[in-house]
Amino acid sequence: MRRLVRILPCLVLWVGVLSVSGSAQVDITVTRTVVQRIPIAVVGLRPARLEPGGRDVAAEARAILTDDLDFSTLFEVLPPAFLPFPPREIRLGEEDKVLPSLNQLQVQAMVAAELQERGKELVLEGRIYNVSRGTFLGGKRYFGDVAALRSMVHRLADEVVLRLTGERGVASTRIAYATAERGATELYLMDYDGHNPVLITGNRTINLSPRFSPDAKLLAYTSYRDGNPDLYVLNMDAGRRTKVSALPGLNISPAWSPDGQWLALSLSKDGGTNLFLMRPTGAGLRRITNGLGISVSPSFSPNGRQIAYTSDRGGSPQVYMMDVEGTNLRRLTFEGEYNASPRWSPRGDQIAFVSNRGGGGFQIYFMDPSGSGLQQMTSLGANEDPAWSPDGRHLVFTSTRGGQKEIYVMHADGAGQKRLTRNAFNNFAPDWSP
Amino acid sequence: MRREATGLGRRGFGAAMGGWWGPLRGTMLLLAAAVLLTGCPKKPEVQTGAAGGTEVKKAEPMVEGPAKPGAKGAESQLKDVFFDFDKAVLRDDAKKTLDENIQWLKTEAAVKIMVEGHCDERGTNEYNLALGERRAKAVREYLAAGGIDDKRLKSISYGEERPFVLGHDESAWKWNRRGHFIVVK
Repeated sequence: MRRLVRILPCLVLWVGVLSVSGSAQVDITVTRTVVQRIPIAVVGLRPARLEPGGRDVAAEARAILTDDLDFSTLFEVLPPAFLPFPPREIRLGEEDKVLPSLNQLQVQAMVAAELQERGKELVLEGRIYNVSRGTFLGGKRYFGDVAALRSMVHRLADEVVLRLTGERGVASTRIAYATAERGATELYLMDYDGHNPVLITGNRTINLSPRFSPDAKLLAYTSYRDGNPDLYVLNMDAGRRTKVSALPGLNISPAWSPDGQWLALSLSKDGGTNLFLMRPTGAGLRRITNGLGISVSPSFSPNGRQIAYTSDRGGSPQVYMMDVEGTNLRRLTFEGEYNASPRWSPRGDQIAFVSNRGGGGFQIYFMDPSGSGLQQMTSLGANEDPAWSPDGRHLVFTSTRGGQKEIYVMHADGAGQKRLTRNAFNNFAPDWSP
Repeated sequence: MRREATGLGRRGFGAAMGGWWGPLRGTMLLLAAAVLLTGCPKKPEVQTGAAGGTEVKKAEPMVEGPAKPGAKGAESQLKDVFFDFDKAVLRDDAKKTLDENIQWLKTEAAVKIMVEGHCDERGTNEYNLALGERRAKAVREYLAAGGIDDKRLKSISYGEERPFVLGHDESAWKWNRRGHFIVVK
């Protein structure tokens, strides 16, 4: 009996993790609808200065953690002034002193954290609580160089999301994108919040269309490195690049099948630009569209059975859908002279795409996979290149609303649109890592 | 640490569960066994040892070297041709320009050229790569039909990636929807 009692909270978590609805309700027993956020208190992170008068890395950690939890759309972080005690003065080990007062305020969750120096490293420890029940849900400790502070905090934020909701958070995910700089277009990776951009090409030609494999280990992209737009796969663990398609003409617009076993891509080797499937090694090439038209920008349905893509077979670019074998073709968009770049949501219930309907220039829209249920998501500037976060709660996209092309994010309800890239160049073609 | 945390857990949990699990006991035991087998942690994971925790590293760049410079092409007196939005059809003014280019290519019979297809910034980068390809092919086919040996011709699309004029309105766009010629030999 004693053992059963000890196991049960764990059981609740386990069942929640297996829930596929995406609104997995795990430890917090309030039924959460789309807009209801879990009130959470962030306590601890007493001031920790790297050196006398230096930056307070604990304050930075607190700000990063708060931003991550707020951005998740799952939590509402209580402002420190709202709490009945000074939250930063709480030490690890003192959590039970504050849980009752938080419970009285109807705060449902708490993360207590501490950041300490250990030699040249920082150690971040976090503990996660269900305040309503007074239960400790788990703790984690991360260590690393001060340059890894943001990544450490992102890991903790994802742990909070996992422990309290059963969902995989996105704070540790990354975004690949293209930057047109000084006569070349290079690919970069940045954190999901726009920090820490790192160069991942560098060949001083044109590099486009980065696409993460489902296991996030590989990145497919198009590069003019050898003069022609060829398709490459970068192994991001080994730093190794493989040219997987270099047929005459275009080798562009890759998409990974959800099982990672196939790449869809567009080739123009024999008249028209058509969609093909091949293995990520380049083997087993198989044609799936025919004709002299243009077929580009494929996106697999999450179950891997269908592909949405852009085709001009009807005279203008429109979004079409077909079974993965190329059969059962149907057109999804009819309004406007330009509908393109479909991206299937991770849950399969929406397709994000770009349209110039309605005279407002290029904007991002959603529709359901039948082509109905249209929603307009952007209206400022020209907006293109929608790509979903792996949890389907956010999108990354390109917008010219600030004058030049920059990478932006928004929540899946269109709220919270904010700019991520801040450099002197045009940034575009984002893809969000799994 | 662990003791405190477990204490909190039991206290809170007992209150929350009350007696409702009684009738479900058999099912719960089965599920609980499954949970144990799948390794769900039943104790806090915080490690107290000095070396405990997960190491986190900052992401590093993965930079490749610059591409080997290809055979450098040269500009020539061959004139650009221009297109309408989302079109690869040769307009009358484009055909007139191409007829002049054909005359020049006939007098310079040793010259080989690369036909570049370009687009304005509107529309998607990937579609524009295909549209630029179609424009380059349309030009190439017109030159071949005009008597230029196709063996002297190559084509490539740069989509919207290499605009001729920077700008975000038709005054720039009309110059960027173009076929351009580079002498490669």
